[in-house]
Amino acid sequence: MVNMIKRAERNAPDSTAKYVYCVIPCPTERKSFGSLGFDAGEVYTLDYKDLAPVVSDVTYRDYAANEEEVVVHRNVVEQIMLEHSVIPVAFGMAFKTRKLLQIAMSAGYLAMQKAQQLVDGKVELGVKVFLPKDQLEMESARREECSSDFLQHLLAVSKDWKKLKLFSDRLVLNAAFLVDKSEVDEFSLQVGVLTEKYDMLKVQYSGPWPAYNFVDIHILGGKRRGFR
Amino acid sequence: MFFIDDMLLRALGITLPGLDMIWTIEQIQKFAYKGLYDPEKIKNQIKETRLLYEFGELDRKEYEEKNSDLMNKLDMAMKIEEMNLNSKIDILG
Repeated sequence: MVNMIKRAERNAPDSTAKYVYCVIPCPTERKSFGSLGFDAGEVYTLDYKDLAPVVSDVTYRDYAANEEEVVVHRNVVEQIMLEHSVIPVAFGMAFKTRKLLQIAMSAGYLAMQKAQQLVDGKVELGVKVFLPKDQLEMESARREECSSDFLQHLLAVSKDWKKLKLFSDRLVLNAAFLVDKSEVDEFSLQVGVLTEKYDMLKVQYSGPWPAYNFVDIHILGGKRRGFR
Repeated sequence: MFFIDDMLLRALGITLPGLDMIWTIEQIQKFAYKGLYDPEKIKNQIKETRLLYEFGELDRKEYEEKNSDLMNKLDMAMKIEEMNLNSKIDILG
């Protein structure tokens, strides 16, 4: 594998690359999603067995995780999500050649097939419950009760969930839920009911997102670009 | 070339008040760096700042200023981590 990568890298031009936004089930023929990509590049599918990485041709460079660049990546994925179940790919994955991308697809194929089954027909929804400025002294028992109440109601309408990091002292709950597309309305309804019940708290409900928190495929390691 | 430093003197049971003071200052500096330039802590602050903006507790200008400061701080923290400035090399293992 390492030799294959080295050979493919040697033959790669310095300036161009294929930037991967996500992976979808392979359509019957090459599909174009329009000029939505970085540098207004065409976003289109390549094929690898029954999977299709969605890419655009870009100038090979480091992708800084700043707001504008992340928005480009996110907009493309959101557009594709309207029509397909997507396996999300981390921001900044650019491969110097199609051959290198194929090597990565080959290395991650089995994991991606499993992920495809997991995300098929589902989306990720995020819920954050946040203390307002004047409620910072909320007792920990009360916080726990509120968090449990949210989880109990929302788990009833989701397939899976992930507890996410409480990155602020003011966060009471930070969680991602994997929800069937057909149950998104019911989930939203439950969030609405809970938001009214806890009207002294701030609730952020976001999505639908690709299942970023439920798919974790690492293809090879280290800092080799495109293989993180 | 052979250096006699505070570590060697300490190993020999010799303490010099001047060197001890330097050692103490180094420890304080080390803790200060760790507190100020902990990448995880800064990433949390970046996420919290974004949330405060989304909840309307910060306006766009305040958010951009604070976010830019934190991004610079994170950049510095990553550099410090890469250069491993916070730890001495342990030659003796």
